[in-house]
Amino acid sequence: MRNSQRTYLFGLVIVSMIALAASPLFATGTAETAAVRDTLTIAIGAEPESLDPVKMTSAPAATVGEHVVERLIYMEEDGSLTPMLATSWSANEDSTVWTFQIRQGVTFHDGTPLNAEAVRMNLTRFVDPEVGAAYAFLLGSVQEIRTTGEYTLEITLGQPFAPILSHLSHSFIGIVSPRQIENLGPADTFENPVGTGPYVMDRWSRGDSIRLSLNENYWGDTPRIPNLVFNFIPEESARIVALETGEADAIMAVPPQDVPRLQRDPNIDVVFQSSVRTIYIGFNNVREPFDNPLVRRALNHAVDKQAIVDSIFDGNAFVLDAPVVDAVFGHASVGPFEYDPDLARELLAEAGFPDGLSMSLHHPTGRYPLDATVAAAVQSMLAEVGVDARLETREWTSYLQFTGQPPEQAEYDSYLLGWGTVTLDSDYGLYALLHTRQWNPDGNNRSFYSNERVDELLDAARIETNPDVRTETYAEAMQLIWDDAPWIFLYSAGQINAVRSNVEGLIHHPLENLSAWDAYFVD
Amino acid sequence: MRNVDLTAEGMPRKKTSELREVFRHLVRNRAAVVGLTIIGLFVVVSVFAPVFATHDPLAANLGNRLQPPSREHLLGTDELGRDLLSRMFYGGRISLNIGIISVLIGVLIGVPIGAVSGYFGGKLDIITQRFIDIMIAFPGILLAIVVVTVLGVGVENVMIATGIASVPIYARLVRGSVLSIKEQSYVAAARAAGLGDVRIIFRQILPNCLAPIIVQSTFQIATSILWAAGLGFLGLGAQAPTPEWGAILSNGRAYIRTAHHLTTYPGLAILLMVLGFNLVGDGLRDALDPKTRS
Repeated sequence: MRNSQRTYLFGLVIVSMIALAASPLFATGTAETAAVRDTLTIAIGAEPESLDPVKMTSAPAATVGEHVVERLIYMEEDGSLTPMLATSWSANEDSTVWTFQIRQGVTFHDGTPLNAEAVRMNLTRFVDPEVGAAYAFLLGSVQEIRTTGEYTLEITLGQPFAPILSHLSHSFIGIVSPRQIENLGPADTFENPVGTGPYVMDRWSRGDSIRLSLNENYWGDTPRIPNLVFNFIPEESARIVALETGEADAIMAVPPQDVPRLQRDPNIDVVFQSSVRTIYIGFNNVREPFDNPLVRRALNHAVDKQAIVDSIFDGNAFVLDAPVVDAVFGHASVGPFEYDPDLARELLAEAGFPDGLSMSLHHPTGRYPLDATVAAAVQSMLAEVGVDARLETREWTSYLQFTGQPPEQAEYDSYLLGWGTVTLDSDYGLYALLHTRQWNPDGNNRSFYSNERVDELLDAARIETNPDVRTETYAEAMQLIWDDAPWIFLYSAGQINAVRSNVEGLIHHPLENLSAWDAYFVD
Repeated sequence: MRNVDLTAEGMPRKKTSELREVFRHLVRNRAAVVGLTIIGLFVVVSVFAPVFATHDPLAANLGNRLQPPSREHLLGTDELGRDLLSRMFYGGRISLNIGIISVLIGVLIGVPIGAVSGYFGGKLDIITQRFIDIMIAFPGILLAIVVVTVLGVGVENVMIATGIASVPIYARLVRGSVLSIKEQSYVAAARAAGLGDVRIIFRQILPNCLAPIIVQSTFQIATSILWAAGLGFLGLGAQAPTPEWGAILSNGRAYIRTAHHLTTYPGLAILLMVLGFNLVGDGLRDALDPKTRS
């Protein structure tokens, strides 16, 4: 009897584990009573990989980080740039020397005053090749960063760099206390950043949450809510239950299929916001047969993007017509690839694959809304034209490593990824992902796409200061990229957040940040 | 211990009657009959999945996703608009395959290890058993996860992983039986008659361990199916679009509030199949044990 009892017991345990994991009930929480409304809880899907500006790489890190660490310039929801730690800025005639006035009377959370020297130390660390920040390209070709006064900073560039101001608004160029970085070696990092932001790092419980508390000496308007908690709840359904029970006051990334149900709940507001993120499937452009543009174009024609948008996202997304979304400066509508399986088969045959081919398709699970579902849908569409795509998934951090190998070690045929052009300038969306100089592992060109003319155009647009000329240059580059089809261009999905209706003032930013410094509770 | 049926000349006739006897007791056990019926049903729909399936289990239809059960789709459709019932039929094949093949792997590796270890004893036994101890120290599902991590994901590797995870169970079980059987007088007689060790193990000892091996295997099929579903649920088992039950359950999790049929039916299928094998295992154990039989 013992044996079977054990098996039964084991079976019971496994079944109940599965049931528990599947059931939203395990995420029960008690709603906070109105009397103790001093904490705002936001549930997000992924944990920041780091809050050290030189190590940050994702939108979740930016969302948490911007409450603690500030940058020189802030990008408003409409894309306009407003002063943050820099009060004003100017450039010389050929835009190679930029002078910034640093805000006076600001202190870091450790009491150190903010001055030009503090900013200089941070920017120097950011572009230091030995530190190797993945986003160092954001500052272009910096020659010198120096202080010319207690509150005056001068950045000298090797050549003009058109998008420098919007790049300086990027969350990853955050300014932390000089005391925190003065003794750091190039490879050293820190866990709890000491910034100038409206909130102070309180506690980071790995795998669970980050707690922030109010910065009493904040230079701007002091937030009304004293404590801020970011909970990491990767499971979408569990995140929703957290909101419904009041355990969370706001959640990010609501799956579209749950929207109607949440909209019926009088205690919950669903918020739609556009996003600047593009989702695509990159090919390994240096690996056969994906070094052949015919194959890449064929697969673009084989995927019914509109069906993905209409059915999986219930219309809350749009099909890409360019490598960047249309809110981005320099966007030119050059697509989309029409869904045409017959043409796809023809192109494959022309490329020498009349019977189709097989390939690996790597994708993350849970990083982007419905990413795994989209991958499975693409797989079934590719099967229609005789392409056997093998789906492989990995946990997010190891996924980034796996798709971050140099070309000779890259073991993938294709990979699904997203990119938010958060500076709203095409340089960030194209240069970082498609320029030959940005090939893995030195940059973010994971598809090893290389086109000399595109490189020339992207380089030219970087140093060109006339916006009209830049627009034309990007239009030409985008057309070339589109014809080369280094990726399967998919869609841009809108953000869906949900907030309990007693919370007002949250900023749902198109850059996929959820900012709480203006938030307050209503009764 | 019975040893009447082991004399070389008496074996064929006695074996037949023994089998009939076991079967007679098995069908008298109501729970076992329920189990047999469940397994039988699953075997039939799995073997004839292409006949029973009303739709292509892999054919996606995005315009028709997450439909509740209807006349066209008896169990509804999944997140890509595929027919759930058809996927479940094909999924049964995968689960049954995994159960049976992994048990074969476990038996083929574990039984010889246990037999040799128990029969020869001494240092060999001590060393082998310490290795088995180490393997037993890991919960089976964890051991399977480790093996899958090393081998990579996929149905074949899940079979190997769950098979390897069941090796220590068989090794321990058989060793225990061998320890008691090798002290029997007929084994001593065989040895006195000049039979070699290998012949004694295979001709005299192992046939006497069959009953516990059969019973254990029935339970082990159930356990392997559960482990495989668990691995599939964690994304370490069958990969999309393979319609494995654990994977279907896992994908359906996201829609548990809006389309619960995606989790309910695969969950029920796993539950029933595991229950079926456990009921039959219980019945078999009673039927194979002369004490309970009389």
